[in-house]
Amino acid sequence: MDKTPEDNDYLDRTSDLKSIGKTNENPSFLEHRGNRKNFLTILNFFLLAIGGLLIISPLWWMVSTSLKTMAEVMSFPPSFWPENWLFSNYIRTWEAAPFTRYTINTLTITTLVVIGNVLSNSFIAYGFAKIPFKGKNILFAIVLATMMIPGFVTLIPQYVLFAKLNWINTYYPLFVPAFFGSAFNIFLLRQFYMTIPTELIEAAKIEGANHFYIWWKIGLPLTKPAIATVAIFSFNGAWNDFLGPLLYLNDENLYTLQIGLQVFKGQLSTQWNYLMAGSLIVLLPVILLFFFFQKYFIQGINLQSGGK
Amino acid sequence: MGKKRLTMRRKESIYGYIFVLPWIIGFLAFTAGPLVFSFAASFTNYNITSQMDFIGGENYKGLFTEDSLFWTSLWNTLYFVLFSVPLTTIGAIFLSALLNQDMPGIRFFRTLYYLPAVLSGVGVYMLWMQLLDPGTGMVNLVLSWFGIDGPNWLFDPNWTKPSLIFMKLWSVGGAMLLYLASMQGVSKNLYEAAEIDGANTWRKFFHITIPMITPVIFFDVVTSLIGGFQIFQEAYVMSNNGEGGPANSLLFYNLYMWKQAFTNFNMGYAMAMSWILFVIVFILTIFNLKLAPRWVHYEGEEK
Amino acid sequence: MKKTHSFILVLTALVLFLSGCAGFQTSNNSNSTNNNENNNTEENSEGKTVIDFWTFWGSEIRRPIIEKIIADFNESQDEIEVKHTFLPFGDIWTKELASIAAGDPPDVVINDINATALRGQKKQAMNLSQFLEQDDISNRFYPELWDATLYEGDSYGIPFNTDTRVLFYNKDAFEEAGLDPEQPPTTWAELEEYAAKLDKKSGNDYERIGFYPLWGIGYDVWLLNANGQNYFDKENNVQIDTAKNEEVLNWLKTWKDRYGDKVVNSYQAQIDSQQGHPFFSGDLAMIAQAPTFYTQIRDYAEDLNFGVVELPEYEEGNGHTSWGGGFVAEIPEGSKNAEEAWEFIKYLTDVEAQTYWAVQNFDNVANVEAAEAASQSSEFTEDGSMVYQKAVENMEQTLLTPIPVVAPDFSSLINPNVDQFFLGSMTAKEALEKSQKDVENLIKKNQ
Repeated sequence: MDKTPEDNDYLDRTSDLKSIGKTNENPSFLEHRGNRKNFLTILNFFLLAIGGLLIISPLWWMVSTSLKTMAEVMSFPPSFWPENWLFSNYIRTWEAAPFTRYTINTLTITTLVVIGNVLSNSFIAYGFAKIPFKGKNILFAIVLATMMIPGFVTLIPQYVLFAKLNWINTYYPLFVPAFFGSAFNIFLLRQFYMTIPTELIEAAKIEGANHFYIWWKIGLPLTKPAIATVAIFSFNGAWNDFLGPLLYLNDENLYTLQIGLQVFKGQLSTQWNYLMAGSLIVLLPVILLFFFFQKYFIQGINLQSGGK
Repeated sequence: MGKKRLTMRRKESIYGYIFVLPWIIGFLAFTAGPLVFSFAASFTNYNITSQMDFIGGENYKGLFTEDSLFWTSLWNTLYFVLFSVPLTTIGAIFLSALLNQDMPGIRFFRTLYYLPAVLSGVGVYMLWMQLLDPGTGMVNLVLSWFGIDGPNWLFDPNWTKPSLIFMKLWSVGGAMLLYLASMQGVSKNLYEAAEIDGANTWRKFFHITIPMITPVIFFDVVTSLIGGFQIFQEAYVMSNNGEGGPANSLLFYNLYMWKQAFTNFNMGYAMAMSWILFVIVFILTIFNLKLAPRWVHYEGEEK
Repeated sequence: MKKTHSFILVLTALVLFLSGCAGFQTSNNSNSTNNNENNNTEENSEGKTVIDFWTFWGSEIRRPIIEKIIADFNESQDEIEVKHTFLPFGDIWTKELASIAAGDPPDVVINDINATALRGQKKQAMNLSQFLEQDDISNRFYPELWDATLYEGDSYGIPFNTDTRVLFYNKDAFEEAGLDPEQPPTTWAELEEYAAKLDKKSGNDYERIGFYPLWGIGYDVWLLNANGQNYFDKENNVQIDTAKNEEVLNWLKTWKDRYGDKVVNSYQAQIDSQQGHPFFSGDLAMIAQAPTFYTQIRDYAEDLNFGVVELPEYEEGNGHTSWGGGFVAEIPEGSKNAEEAWEFIKYLTDVEAQTYWAVQNFDNVANVEAAEAASQSSEFTEDGSMVYQKAVENMEQTLLTPIPVVAPDFSSLINPNVDQFFLGSMTAKEALEKSQKDVENLIKKNQ
C-alpha cells in the first residue's frame, strides 16, 4: 500500500492544474470586448481608490499624532498636520522600553504559532473533510462548539492548568496549543478541502496511495491559498496577542511588543505620540509580510476544474 | 471480497481518527478540563478565591427571572449580530470581487484594505472615538459636506451600536482575505463558457463567482456569528469606564459577563451566563449547518 | 518538495535552538515564579528572600521613581530583596486573580482602594490585622482612607496614594470677563453666574465655555457634594431617591439644556479621548479635576494662567465636600513571604518613601505627614506648590465611596437611569425611584 507506482500521474495532474491557475488572474474581464474591459478596469480602479482613501484617512490621524509633541497632541482643536515632523519620536519610542528584546520574543512566539497552526490544522481538516469515519459529525460539532464558549470563563481554570504543568513564565502556554489545531482554522481549511473533487482522491486511492500521501501530495498543494490565509491570520493573531503573554509571563525579559506598548498608557494620561509611533512600528512587519505573501493567493490553484 | 471491503472501510476509519487525533489530544489536554470545570461551577456560587458551594440552578434561575441587565445585554448583542454579520459579509464579498482583478497597483490596494484588520488594540478604538466626535470628528465633517447633520454617535444610545457596526465594516479586510483566497480557485473555464453564452459581468458574478465561493461564505457567516456574539473589547474601551453606557446601550453580553466575573467576582454566575450563550449560539449554528445543503455548493461533493 | 523538506529542517533546528532560551525553561521550584538568570528559587544568591512586587507604574516618569524607592529599601536591610514587575493598568488585577486561584501569587500588589473590603471578603487580599497588632501604622494615614480598607473591622490593604477633586479656573479668562481672578466661585449659584459671564459666543458657536459640571467629574460627585455623604450609610441603607438628589440632577440638566447637546457632546468627546483639552487652549474657563491635572497643564500648556479652588458648595454653609479615590498595597492571599511583604509595605507607606513619591510624581499620598512635608517642598514651582497645598488642604473634606460588599455593582444599576434622565427619556424623580428600587433589590439578593 505504501508503494505508489504511478505517483507521477498525480504530479502531472497537479502541475496541469497549476498552469490553469496561473493564467487565472483576470477571470471576469476577458480579452475580447476590449473597450468594455478597459472601461470596467478604470471604473474599478476609481472605486478602489475612493474606498482606499476612506480606509486610509483615519490612519492619517495615527501617523500625524506619532509625529507631534505631546503639547501639540493636547492642543484644541486637534491639528491636522504636525507643526514639526518629529521623526525622532520613533527613536525615543524604541528606547522607552527594551523593544529590541521584545521584538525577538514576539517573533519567537509568533513563528512557533504559525508553524504549529500550518502543520496541524491542514492535517486535521483533511481528516474532517475527506475521510468518512464514525462519529465525525459529532466530533466536528464539538470542534465548532469550542469557539462558542467565551474565553473569560475558562481563563482562570486554564491558568491553573498551565500552572500545574509548571508552564507559567514560559512560552509553552502561548504556542503549544497551536500544534493541536484550532477550531477556526480547522473549519476554514475543511471548507477548502470540501471543494477538492472526491474523484481525484478516489483515483489516487485506487492507484494505491494512502491518505497521508494524498494529503501531502494533493491536499496541501491544492489548498495553498487557504494555508497562506491561515498563516497570515495566525501570524496576525499571535503578533497582536496581548492577554496571553500578559497572563502567562512574569519576567519582564520575556515580554512581547504588545505588552511593551502599554508603558505609554498611564493611569491618568497617555503618551499618544509614542503609543502611535509604537503601534505603527509594530504594524509594519505584518503589513510587509502580507504585501509579499500575496503571491500565494495569486498562484491559487484551480480546484473546480480538476475533475472536469 | 465482502470481507475485504469491510476492512477497507475500517482502515479508512482508522485513517480518519489518525488525522483528527492531534485535535483530540489538544482538546483533552488543554480545553476539555476548563470547559467541564466552568460547566460544573455554573451550578455553584464560585467566586474564584474563597467559595464554591453547590447551589443548584440558582444562577440560571436568577438570570432568567431577576436580572434585567441580562436581558438588556442579550438584546444589545442580538442587535449587533443581526446587523453586523450580514453587512460585513456582503461588504467583504463585494470588496474581494473588486480586488480579485489583474490591474496596476492591485497588490498595493489589497494591502491597503487589509490594513485595518491588522491594527488592534486601544489605539484603534481611540482613533474611532476621535473620528466619531460629534463636533470636530471626521465622519460628521464629511457628512456635513453633503448637507447631512451627523448624529451624536457614541453619545446617543440609538447610535452607539451602529457606530460599532461601522467600525466593523472598516476592518472588513480580514474576511476579504478569505474570499480572495477562494475566488482565486474559481475556474476560468466557467467564466469562458459564460462569456460564450453572452453573460455580462453581473451575471457572471452572481451565477458563477457567488455559487463557487459559498463554502467560504458559509464559513464566514458561521464564524462571524459566533464571534459577533462575543463582542467585548470595543464596548469595553469605547464606553465610559468600560461600563457599557450611555444608558447601557453598549452593555453587550460578554461585557456584562466580564463585569460579573472580574468586578463583582460572581464567577459562577458568569459561567452560567456563558453556558446560556453557548446554547443560543450552538442552536443557531446547528440551524446554519442544517440549512447549508440548500445553498452551499461543494464542488468536491459526491452527488 | 525538496524545498519544503529543507524548510522543515531549518525550523526544527530553530526550535531546538530556541528551547535553550529563557522562555522555554520551566522553573524547578513549583513554588517560585522567579525565573531570572540568578534566582531560580525564592532566595537569591546572597541568601535574601525575594519578594515579587507588581505595579502598573511602567511609564518613563513613574517607573524610575518606584524603582528608586525599591532600591533604597533593598539597600536599607539585608534580609529582603524586592523584585518589581510592571503590568498594564487594569489587566494587572486579572492576572493577580488568576495567580491567586493557582496558589502562586506575587507578594505585594498595588490595587484599587475602593474595592479593598470586597477583596477582603472574597479572601483575595490577606487580612493584615496579624501584622497591625505588632506594629499599628493606621494613624499614618487619613482616617477616610484607612476606613476604606476595612472589612468587618480588619484592614486588607495599606493606603498608598489618593486624590481629590478641585476646581481649576483660567485667571486670564476671569480678567477678560470682568471677574476678579482672586475671587473664584464658592457656591453653586456663583458658579452659574460666573459661567454665564465667562461664556463667549460668536454667532451660534461658543468661543469659550464658562463651565460644564460633568466634564471631569460625574454626577455622583455633585450628589456627594450636596449631601455631604455617600448613598450608603454604614448599615447599608440606600439614600438615592431623595428630594435633594432630584434637585441636584435637575440643576445639572439645566447646564446641558443651556449649552445644548452638540456642544456638550463634542467637548466631552475631546476630554474623553484624553487628547486636545479645551481647558489648555482657553476654550473652557473652569473645570473640576484631580490635582494631578496640574502636571498636564505644566507639560502641555505652560503659559496658562490658572488658579485652583475647592469645589463650590451647594449653598453657603453646606460644605465643600469633594470626592477621591486611591490605591493600596495589599498582600494577595497565598503569598509565601507575607512577613517580608509586610516589611516592604511598611517602608513603602512610611514618610520617607511617601514624600519622595509625592514630590517626584506630584501625586497625593496617603501618609499625612509625608503629604504635609511634600506641600512645603521647594522642588515645586510656584504653581505646583499652590496646587499641591490646595490638594492637601482639600483632603479634610474629601470622601471616598468604597464599594459596598452587598452591592458591588450598584453603579451599573444607577448610571443607566441617570443617563436616561440626561437624555430626556426619564424624569429625575423616575430615574431616582427606579435606582433606589433596583439597588435595594440587589442588596436584598446579596444579603
